[in-house]
Amino acid sequence: MLRLTLAQMRRSASRLAAAGVAIAIGAAFVAATLLAGDVITRATYDSIAARYAEADLVVAPPLHSTFSPNDLLTVADTQGVADSVGLTSVFLALSGEGRTVWQGALPLTSLTFMPLELSEGAWPQGASQIALPADTAERLNVSVGDTIGVDSWAIDTAESLRDELTVVGIVGDPLGAYTQTGGRAVMAADALTERAAAEGGRVAYTEILLMLADDARAADVRATLTTLLPEGTQVLTPHEHAAVVAATITDGQNVVFYVFVLSFAAIALMVAGLVISNTFQVLVAQRTKTLALLRAVGAGKRQVAFSVVLEATLLGVISSLIGVAVGAGLGQLALALASGGSGVAASLPTYIALTWQVVAIPVIAGLVVTLMAALVPARAATRVAPLAALRPEAAPTIEKGSAGRVRLVVSVLLMLAGFAALAGGAWLGTAQGDSRANAAMGLLAGITGGFLSFVGVALSGVFWMPLVIRLAGRLAGLTGPTARLAAANMQRNPRRSAATATALLIGVTLVTMMSTGAASARASMDAAFDSFYPIDMAIEAGTNEALPAEVMASIMGTAGVGNMAQVTNVIATIDVSARDYLTMTVAAVDPTAARAALNDTALVDGLTAGVIAFPSSVAAGWEVSSGDAITLRGPTGEVELTALVTGGQGLWTPIVTPDDLAAVGFSAAPNTLWLSLDSLSAIGRLHDVIADSNLPLASQGSALERAEYETVINTALGVVVGLLAVAVVIALIGVANTLSLSVLERRRESATLRAIGVTRGQLRGMLAVEGALIAGVGAVTGISLGLVYGWAGSLAALGVMGEVALSVPWRDVALVAMIALGAGLVASVAPGRSAVRPSPVAALGTE
Amino acid sequence: MDTTVFSPAATTPAVHARSLTKVYGKGAAQVRALDALSVDFEAARFTAIMGPSGSGKSTLMHLLAGLDSATGGQAYIGATEVTGLTDRDLTLLRRTRVGFVFQQFNLLPMFTAAQNITLPLELAGQRVDRQWFGQLTTTLGLTDRLNHRPAEMSGGQQQRVAIARALIARPDVVFADEPTGNLDSRSGAQVLSFLRRSVRELGRTIIMVTHDPAAAAYADRVILLADGRIAGEITEPTPESVLAGLDALRSYEDAEATEVQF
Repeated sequence: MLRLTLAQMRRSASRLAAAGVAIAIGAAFVAATLLAGDVITRATYDSIAARYAEADLVVAPPLHSTFSPNDLLTVADTQGVADSVGLTSVFLALSGEGRTVWQGALPLTSLTFMPLELSEGAWPQGASQIALPADTAERLNVSVGDTIGVDSWAIDTAESLRDELTVVGIVGDPLGAYTQTGGRAVMAADALTERAAAEGGRVAYTEILLMLADDARAADVRATLTTLLPEGTQVLTPHEHAAVVAATITDGQNVVFYVFVLSFAAIALMVAGLVISNTFQVLVAQRTKTLALLRAVGAGKRQVAFSVVLEATLLGVISSLIGVAVGAGLGQLALALASGGSGVAASLPTYIALTWQVVAIPVIAGLVVTLMAALVPARAATRVAPLAALRPEAAPTIEKGSAGRVRLVVSVLLMLAGFAALAGGAWLGTAQGDSRANAAMGLLAGITGGFLSFVGVALSGVFWMPLVIRLAGRLAGLTGPTARLAAANMQRNPRRSAATATALLIGVTLVTMMSTGAASARASMDAAFDSFYPIDMAIEAGTNEALPAEVMASIMGTAGVGNMAQVTNVIATIDVSARDYLTMTVAAVDPTAARAALNDTALVDGLTAGVIAFPSSVAAGWEVSSGDAITLRGPTGEVELTALVTGGQGLWTPIVTPDDLAAVGFSAAPNTLWLSLDSLSAIGRLHDVIADSNLPLASQGSALERAEYETVINTALGVVVGLLAVAVVIALIGVANTLSLSVLERRRESATLRAIGVTRGQLRGMLAVEGALIAGVGAVTGISLGLVYGWAGSLAALGVMGEVALSVPWRDVALVAMIALGAGLVASVAPGRSAVRPSPVAALGTE
Repeated sequence: MDTTVFSPAATTPAVHARSLTKVYGKGAAQVRALDALSVDFEAARFTAIMGPSGSGKSTLMHLLAGLDSATGGQAYIGATEVTGLTDRDLTLLRRTRVGFVFQQFNLLPMFTAAQNITLPLELAGQRVDRQWFGQLTTTLGLTDRLNHRPAEMSGGQQQRVAIARALIARPDVVFADEPTGNLDSRSGAQVLSFLRRSVRELGRTIIMVTHDPAAAAYADRVILLADGRIAGEITEPTPESVLAGLDALRSYEDAEATEVQF
């Protein structure tokens, strides 16, 4: 039987190869994930171990607590301890050249405990020296010998203080001890402790490192310290400790990482399973005659089934191994490319570690998927009657069998329950209860519902996909006989066409869902950001100053600045009711200019002369409501204004028109500018303009913050879509496979068509239409479904943030549709070539 | 032949070959399937080509129909030299001027009988002549089968659909390759009489390859082939005269004839 199986595999090598590629991609995905996880763990471990440099022992505090300076003294006084240091990181706000950088700093005591190395200059001494990591020095644009500012806030007066520090050295981190946490500057231990204490920070040590005296025994010191220090203290060697810490970090992070990435690998494998199942069904159909002959000469049902299963096993193992090799190769390549870089990348290991798990897990996963996919075809193989060997024409049409009532019932139930839960989740998410519990419930319901309904949709593809394909075929058939032939061909094996389209549907749905969700998130966040951060950037001269016209002109002339509104901020007194008055900042601005410069124009909607506009956030605090009479008092008089509560909430001042302000005697000369920015690069240039003006101008703005959020969303989306794209690629391989199998089955028919006057071009065109139809149906249904899921998911997840803007990522949708259609067409090229190869004479021959 | 509805000008033959030669293989393995064969097939006539296996009868048909390329000589359909056409021109020629009837019927399983019949016109982008379609299907006894798919029809019915498909575009000539090879004798006889009727009543030209003397007897003329050459000709054949002709062929070239087995 083995010899027979191998012989059959050799005959179907090219068809198996296509299925093998699908499995190999899935296995490579899993292998690469495991390798990446391992690299993360090792990098974490190495960097933690590096932090302890040469220490003999590490003393770790009980869980969730730290050591006090007294504990440090206890350790230092313990017999057998030659030297000790408490590890602490103090964060400093360093500023230079208009930029502020938050930088962690290490205290410098004994160099023995210092994992950092001096690459330039000297170690800092005294209260006013500091050594900086190279990239921080670069960001602050300083080098050895320059001075930088350090801001602090006195605990008692909450006053901001600025001291100067001299940069005396540049430090490097060759062991990667702190590369994952932003690097560390170094200051003299006393200076740093003082600085921390001045800010009210209790000095706390996360760990204490110690060196043993030459004659001391580690075990004795361990025992002594455990009794002297608070209960729960652990005394470990650096490697033991690194292992413990790495485990706590990676148990959290790595599990999330594995679950996250492996779920994409699972999707890829699932799609691969569909492709393989299809391939085997066709192989069995093609071998009907051989199988029947085997049965006729005495092969048992089990032997026939065994042969198919054996074939699947061989295919699964071989392609999974290839996948592992590819995954490992890619992983090593990625490491090699990354290790050339700096920062986090510099601390990565040089080589991937091929453990047995990295090989075994993907191979097992690939094998299991292949076997599961081959089960149904194997059963079909046993149903071939020995009699079939005697029939003159073995028409390969075994796909008549009903798709199973169980499947129908299960998938319908899944879809009903799933979509109901999804709708419930969307409703809960947007419900105005604004309780967090509601939102969490909504999200949970949405995720569960989405998962269940999608499984239902994919399972029931066999039932509804043929209908969609028929409809699409009918539409395509209107274009001419070639398309009509193609449409008719797809009806012959509706289940196979359906399975192929379903495989594509899965990937396309997920990709569309993610980009729809992200587009909706982006749109919703935009609305939220606009409301929270109504001004990209504001430049203020102070309430009693005025902005010189030439400064305003040069600000307006700065490249990247969009619109500008001139604003006058004054401290005024307003009567909010007959008995109550407030002294507060009031902004005056021309409504038209403000509308152009603000992100959230709701702030000035309805603002005209005689109106004072209160952002809803301000109005709520002072119990002002629309229509209230408000008196604005100025140096020379007062004016009666009508209150208007606007929808805006990102600004904390009421707004009036400049005329009303001038009417009560304030100078209406602008002292503040509201700017909208077209480009973030304008921020740097504006800082230059401010510096050049030699005026004490303050700037504040949300543009940078906002851009950072957007970058995070875009990056995350890019990663997710990239991971999902693997599933789409596998599905497209499936399309090509299905087409080439159909071509092989239809040799005689193709020849007949050629004989009765179909040109080679028409025959190729027919296959192209078939490929495009399958891919098109998969893409269109996938996109529609993805939009529904994306929207429902956005409602469930983002409802808590406020108004959800549902948007369609047209660019992404068009891209997905074009890739699918294009790939469908490309997939038909090779089968098309083999379809036109046989001469029409083949139609006349018997077999 | 006095029942002929059409009286074609018997000047140019519908199909003819001049010194047609086909050689397969090279060197020692060389087989001369057709050896400078010249033959005329008259229009509106039903001609059968007979001969033992390997006599070159299938090769002759393939070359005449432009399905295969000749090593030498010329084949003509009407005045068109088939042997000189490109693949594309051959395809267009087959679409409009040649019809085929195959041993395996070769209907497209996903189409109904009516769709199968009109397929060549559809491919050519031509309108279906309803009257001609009605006449064909009535003559072939297919009127109540038009909405059936091939799988729902008997072999004889399928072959009649195939004949209708071959005739729908009113081709200059229909080639039939062992049209009764897959049929029982009763269905076979039906198909053959339909072929004859389409010649006598509808004025079509049919060239049929067969090895069955009974089938050949339905033709107006039988051409006997042996060894890639014309070995004889029988007009107004009967099964007996065809058998006699074949026997003569066998004794004439004894060694090869006994070698040939079915």
